[in-house]
Order: sequence, then C-alpha cells, then structure tokens
Amino acid sequence: MKDNLRLNKSPLPFIFTPHPVIGLPDEALYDYVEGEDPETGKIVIQEIVDALTRPVSETQLKVESPESVIAEAPALLKDTEDNLQRIFYAKGWTEGLPVILPTEERVNAMLAGTSHPADEVVGEAFQMDTRELVKYTVQNIAVIAVMAGARPEHFPVILAIAATRQTALMPSTTAFGAVLMVNGPIRNEIGMNCGIGAFSAINQANSVIGRAWLLMSHCWGYNRPLRTLWSSQGNNLTYNSMCCAENEERSVWAPFHVQKGFKAEESVVSIFRGWTLFNSPGTAANRTLGEELKIQMGAMPGSAATLIMDPLVARNLKENEGFKTKEDYCRWLSQNIKMPAGRFWGADHIDMLIASQAYQGIEPYASWKKLPDDALIAPFHDPGQISIIVVGGETSPLWKVADYRYTISAPIDTWRPNKADECADGTCGIPDPDDPEAYK
Amino acid sequence: MAIEIRYSVLTPEAGVQRIAGASPMVMGALPPGMRGPAPGAGAPPLRRPAPASSFTFARRLDTLDGKTVYLVDTGFGGSYKFMQQVQKWFAKHMPSVKTIRKRKSGHVFMDDTTDLWEEIKTKGDAAVVGVAG
Repeated sequence: MKDNLRLNKSPLPFIFTPHPVIGLPDEALYDYVEGEDPETGKIVIQEIVDALTRPVSETQLKVESPESVIAEAPALLKDTEDNLQRIFYAKGWTEGLPVILPTEERVNAMLAGTSHPADEVVGEAFQMDTRELVKYTVQNIAVIAVMAGARPEHFPVILAIAATRQTALMPSTTAFGAVLMVNGPIRNEIGMNCGIGAFSAINQANSVIGRAWLLMSHCWGYNRPLRTLWSSQGNNLTYNSMCCAENEERSVWAPFHVQKGFKAEESVVSIFRGWTLFNSPGTAANRTLGEELKIQMGAMPGSAATLIMDPLVARNLKENEGFKTKEDYCRWLSQNIKMPAGRFWGADHIDMLIASQAYQGIEPYASWKKLPDDALIAPFHDPGQISIIVVGGETSPLWKVADYRYTISAPIDTWRPNKADECADGTCGIPDPDDPEAYK
Repeated sequence: MAIEIRYSVLTPEAGVQRIAGASPMVMGALPPGMRGPAPGAGAPPLRRPAPASSFTFARRLDTLDGKTVYLVDTGFGGSYKFMQQVQKWFAKHMPSVKTIRKRKSGHVFMDDTTDLWEEIKTKGDAAVVGVAG
C-alpha cells in the first residue's frame, strides 16, 4: 500500500494503522485509533479528523519515481556454476534450489519446442511495488523453462500456463494453494503421471512443469516479502502446485476439459485455487464416500470445492451408487453437504468474500444471513462450483477434497511446434509424437 | 570452469518489456482463448481497469461538530471491528458528531456498487472508508 501511494499520482488522504487489523481484540483496535500512524507518526484519529476538515494538499504525498528493478544490468554474467547459482537466487529468480543455467544452447533447444517466435508476448504481470507492467515473451519463458529443468516437449504446457497470467505465488496475507492439471493427449506424449504417486515427487514432467510455474512467479516479481508477497505463513504446495494430469483412461467419467467445452483430443491446462485441502487418511470402508465428505466438507466453510478422486472411487460411485456423471455427484454434494449457518458466516474469508452478496439481497445468502447460528445450510449449493477430477493409480480408493475454486483453462495445442520443425535425426530435441518409443 | 550467460538474452530479464506507471490488475474478463468459471461465480479473473479520469476533492468541512460522518466498512478482515472502535472514539470525544457505520454492499475488492455512495451524498457530510490490506 505504501508503495502504491508513493507511485500514485492521485494524492488521496490515506491513513495507516499498524498491521494487521484483523483478529485483534477491541482494546487493541481502540489503541490503533488513538495511536500513531506508522507512516507519519501522527495520531490516527487526528489524521482522520484533519483529512475531513483541512484542505488536501497535492504535496501531501511525496510522489516518487518507481524504484529501478534492474540497476545497471551487466552485459554478461560470466562466472562459475556455483557463483551463478548464487547470483540467480540473489536476483530473486529462483526459490533457492539449484537451477539448470540457461545457456544459449539450452535456450535455443527449448525455443524449438514451440512454433511461436521468441519475441512474441505471451502475457503480462503487474508488479505492485514498482507499478510496472511486465510483458513477458516466449524467449523469457524459454529461459525460465530451462531453469526449471524442463525439456522442449514440456514447453507448450509451460507457455499455456504463462498465457493464463496467473501467478503461483499469491500476494494475499493468507496461504493460497493451487492445483495445476493437464488434460488431453499431451499428458502421455510428454510422460506426465496421472496414476500411482501422481502427486508424489517422482515424475519429471509433473515436477518441472509445476516448478516452471513457480519460477515464473519469482521472475515476474511475486516473491518480494512485504512488497508483493504478504502471506504470513506461506503454502508449501506452491513448490509444485500439485501439478498432475487427469487419469482420463481409467476414469469412468468425462475428462474435466471436456466438461468445460474442449474437445477430448485437445490438450488443456487448468488451474484450481483455494486454501484448505483434506487428504483422506483412509478409504470409505465403514461409511460411504458421501458420509465421509459430509464430515470433511462440513468442516470447510466455502462456496466452491474441488474433489480429486482415485479412479476406483469414481468407478464405485458410478457402478454401485448410480452417479452416471461427475455432474450427478456434484448435484448430490450440493444438496447434501450441510453445516450450521454460524460456522459458515463466522469464517473470516466467508464474511469478507460472500457476506456482501447477502447484504445485496442475493439468494440464498440473504436468507442464510437471517438464520440462527445452528440452522443447517448447504454451503456448496451451486453444483457448478464443485469440480471433480480423477487422478490416481488404483491401489486404494482414496481422495482429496479442497475448497479450491476452478479458475481458468488454457489451450496447449496452440503452443506446439510445427511438425515441419521436427527433425528426422532427433537433434532438435523434440520427440516424435507418432513414435511410441520416443517418450519412454 | 566459467559459464557465460548473456544478460539481455539468457536471463529471466531477457525478452521482458517493462512499462512504468501501469494500473494494477483488477478482476474482470478472461484472457483471449481461455475458459473459466461461469459468470458471477466467486471472484472473477483479473483484468486491467480503464484509465482513471481526473477528479476533484469534495470541499472540506469547516468542522465535524453537528455533522454526519459515515464510517464505511469495506468488508476486508478487521474493518467491521475497527470502524466500531472509531465510532466509539467519536461517541466519547466528539459526541456532537453523528457517525453511521455501514458495510459497503459490493465486492470487497471492487468499486462495483453505488447505493451507499448515493446515500452518503444525500444523508451524510463525510465518509471514512476502511480498512484496506
């Protein structure tokens, strides 16, 4: 906020209190009112009174030029591998793990993984502290993909993720996590894991694609504590954002991307984002899945959910419980997951993000606001806000459920290399998708 | 052995265009070619806002005595309780000031409704809006 004000040409009378405001007792907040503005040293309530009764000067806020992010960039970085690793981390380009250094040979090889020219703008990111709009190109993403350890065949997926403009590192004071999921033929072409251990750290494609998204977020400036990153605790899932592929072959239901209107033969990457994630510690051996989810989702105030189930779970739901489609089960969940109204409205994020709809008279929220705390409501009332994806290797009928909201899907195929660019001798680094041996 | 990395070509700064003085991303339409949740479903994706038009400040009040001051709770975490304490301070130290605490009706992160602003223009003399995070 302070950076926004420094760089904002409109001198609005902003006043600061110490941070945070949320979660403090009344006495502490009253002390804030009578205490000092940490930015000016003046008494907060006096600043409020003055802002309403004294002329607002255009010089009230000093407008400063944006702090330069690149201070005299050198033409050449020439150093040992160890020192370059330290330089890359010091510049905020990595999470601290070693990267594959982006030599000319490696970057050129990566660029062969797409038909798009190196100088084409893929997307943009806004840097909150410097108020710069950063437009990044295919070249930029190729460098980052090399750093992440990706190979050219992973590059179309990474470019599609970059094109969403989504960041893996959210600025919020809360601890967002995400799921990054791929559908379509490219999953198998590049050897992604959608089976046993799909979320375990054992598969190169899953690992590097998830890491590439994280490194993009670093390089686009989302990693600067108290300037662009305020997550009080952070979320360890951001290392890889649970990068996975849907197990379309073993699922009894339509793939997620088909549900969203893509063709089955299209390759697509989707992002889901939220805060709370339950891993089922065991199976639904003594209760039905529905009863288990009533317990788990009933403790998870939210309005959207993502259910990640092993193919065995999906098959049981379809063959033994009669849920012919994902949509059928989403409808059941929307009607049967209940929680007390007080538990729902008492959640800080619900009050902040949903209560406004109640105040605007939007149903069912307006009616729910009037209920006693112990009245039961169905918080996931809209089945369209529940996503089901099928991932797993069928060693046990397990699942994960999260309050993650479906955010976006991006087509991958548009980023593929031209077939004419592939070479017969394999020196281009792009495996032949028609060769069943190429991706082993 | 030394490794050469040309800064302008082979670093994460390569191929990046920086445009100073941009406007922050706010919620709105999806980028071209993308698909997303149904309209109105939760927080919409990000977009850049239209450029701000010029504005002038309302005339400042000579005094708050006898005036009506709206304390607008944006809905951000802590706003409700903070404005309660501001109201408590006015009641104790400037009792001639009438304070009305109200929750902003729209989305916490968007200036998407005007009902409260119209009410304040009609019934109020000033407004304090907070908190932001």
